[in-house]
Amino acid sequence: MKSLFARFRRTSADSPMSCHQVGELLQHYLDCELDASRSLRLSAHLEDCRRCGLEAETYERIKLSLAQQRPEVAPDSLARLREFGTRLARGEEPLDP
Amino acid sequence: MPEIEVLLRVARSLTRNDADAEDLVQDTLIRAYKAIDRFDGRHPRAWLLTILRNTHINRNRRRRPELLRDPGGATRHMDEVVSDEVTDASVEASFDAEIEKALGELDEPFRRVIELVDVDGLSYAEAAEVLNVPTGTVMSRLHRGRGRIRDRLDRAGLAPRSH
Ligand SMILES: [Zn+2]
Repeated sequence: MKSLFARFRRTSADSPMSCHQVGELLQHYLDCELDASRSLRLSAHLEDCRRCGLEAETYERIKLSLAQQRPEVAPDSLARLREFGTRLARGEEPLDP
Repeated sequence: MPEIEVLLRVARSLTRNDADAEDLVQDTLIRAYKAIDRFDGRHPRAWLLTILRNTHINRNRRRRPELLRDPGGATRHMDEVVSDEVTDASVEASFDAEIEKALGELDEPFRRVIELVDVDGLSYAEAAEVLNVPTGTVMSRLHRGRGRIRDRLDRAGLAPRSH
């Protein structure tokens, strides 16, 4: 019911997206590289369309799984580099090693 | 400087070695401070990533010229026998394992982009800086690479289905 009313309120500027358009823009959407207005229209389509919703879910899970593979950076490397950066900024490091 | 962690992460992806990654970031910071007068103050992360990429290329040329000629990663895992059997382990674990395998088997250009965007968390524009390719190339490699991972999940029966 809610989505029916939402559909009535739609203007041409936020007309519904087709499955084809969603297919073209899905990856940008998942990477947060899509502008806000198209993101909203795309997510409205995903709510209504089971096929596109599943497609999005698949790629979302792939992305999530890849993000979990992110290796921890070596903590002592990071600490040394932060220290080094601070000394550089203070002019305490020679620029020609 | 909050960018140091991102730099170290990307350096680790480029060098695949903690010690080399630390050296690379240190050189990058030195070059950045030398060039700071030429920095326009916008997008510091992208600017630093560009310097990181150039530093990385110079270091490789100097130290290991053979690496630039060797296609390397493209042939990795060629001898690995692919088993599409779903094991007794939980579906979640085999999903992650399958994705890790699929990533390892991608051709180098696709794997690199996916590592930078999905694993290291860079934007398209930042990945384009690191790889020195147009943003459009990042997008098309990313999308094709993910498509291949997805195909593999399908074959393993691990992609979500409607029934
Ligand atoms: Zn659809």
